[in-house]
Amino acid sequence: MTHAQVRETAAALFDDQRNPFGAFSLGSETHHAVTIPDAVLRCRWIAVDINASGFGLFFVSPSLERARLVACFDSDYPSTAVATKFMSGASGEEMVRHSRISTTPRWWADDGMAGSRQAMENLAWSERTAPLAPGTNGIAFPVHAERGQCGLVVFLGSDITLSDDTLCEIHARCFALFAAVARIRPGETGRTRAISKRELECLKLTANGNTSEEIAKLLKLSVHTANQYLTQSTQKLNAVNRNQAVAKALRLGLIE
Amino acid sequence: MSSPAALLQSDASGSRLASRGDLTSFFMQLAADIGADSYMLVAIVHDQDRNDARIVSSNWIFDAIELIGKRLIANLALGPLTAAPGVRPRPLVAAHAPNAGALLSGEEARLLDVLGHAEIYSLRLNVGRQRLFVLFSAAEPGKIDLTALMKAQLKCCYALSSIPQLIAEASMQDPLSDRERECLFWVSEGKTTDEVALILGVSSNTVNSYITHAIQKFAASNRAMAIATAIRSGII
Repeated sequence: MTHAQVRETAAALFDDQRNPFGAFSLGSETHHAVTIPDAVLRCRWIAVDINASGFGLFFVSPSLERARLVACFDSDYPSTAVATKFMSGASGEEMVRHSRISTTPRWWADDGMAGSRQAMENLAWSERTAPLAPGTNGIAFPVHAERGQCGLVVFLGSDITLSDDTLCEIHARCFALFAAVARIRPGETGRTRAISKRELECLKLTANGNTSEEIAKLLKLSVHTANQYLTQSTQKLNAVNRNQAVAKALRLGLIE
Repeated sequence: MSSPAALLQSDASGSRLASRGDLTSFFMQLAADIGADSYMLVAIVHDQDRNDARIVSSNWIFDAIELIGKRLIANLALGPLTAAPGVRPRPLVAAHAPNAGALLSGEEARLLDVLGHAEIYSLRLNVGRQRLFVLFSAAEPGKIDLTALMKAQLKCCYALSSIPQLIAEASMQDPLSDRERECLFWVSEGKTTDEVALILGVSSNTVNSYITHAIQKFAASNRAMAIATAIRSGII
């Protein structure tokens, strides 16, 4: 899709779906985007507001081993843009490391045109980085969601317009967008079957370092029953053993 | 940084922070910009099955912190009123304390009001794996500009991103070595000792010793508890 088309499509949508005051008000988008196409649409709105021609949303894998960006969608959704392939490859590694420790946006300029580069150079809280995809200009916003999920929202284009003031607003909207996407995503691994209250109690006690015997005593159960609850919850969480069950339950927010 | 006067004049509104002093002047300036009277930067650390608030930087008066107590601050930061970036924040209004649930007693609410924290916003700051929060408060409800507040939240994240060591020290919470963290991560993914040994290319004994060290450092009683502690404090 060309830049002009993007603008047209999005402008048409604005008239119906944006608030009547015209300007976007921060925090108004929080509870939308329950599906990926919704999220793509919302991302397109942001892209249009900063005059970007392309965008992409990535997850940063939690594993320490794999420093890769995992593409969720981009401006060519449902297919995949060439730039996205570059970013998911080796050129994203440095950006992954950055996203894990910092929130600062990073920009790059590699298309030989001066326009957007000057705008970026004037940003106080943004730093320059190596191009994430060759021959492009762009800016990448590190984002986080609950339970430590980390990601990156990227915008591409030769005449991206951003000021210090809009930078924060755009970044806040990226955060809200990512939070919404991160809430959908666990569904992909198959919805976790309902875990009973008793099973959660046992898991929580396990997380606090109690053995099966101790749990049985605390909850006035037989050791066999306590073990059964733990086995059931492990299966429901699709985990291979208790350690993983505890980790998954914590990451999913089932236990505190 | 030289004298306190020079410190407060330094322009910390843009680019990098260099010192602890810059951090203070950055937050003072930011609070003033959004109409807040005071700020408090808090790191939450998980300690022996309870959450502890560590105050990194603040211009609350000493008595306010003493009288309100860090427990309340930790509960506020981890409570439902805390807004992640991009979410419209809701304030804790001392005058409406009965509506705030179990968070505040009537006496605490009165104290907050008297001490100039009639309205408090709690914001989550996402900087790496740290559990950081900033509280902005005003003596009169409605004084803080919401849109400016939401933008300020991002500026706080940027500012803190530029001083990772300083923040890490202040909220010291990752006692593990790289290897220990790696081992614990794989165990949390359900791998057995032998599998971790294969993944990392070391012997099973070495893996066990890394994990034992991790368990000791967390004062945990077994692997499951060490994993839970590490996840709660955002280490793995």
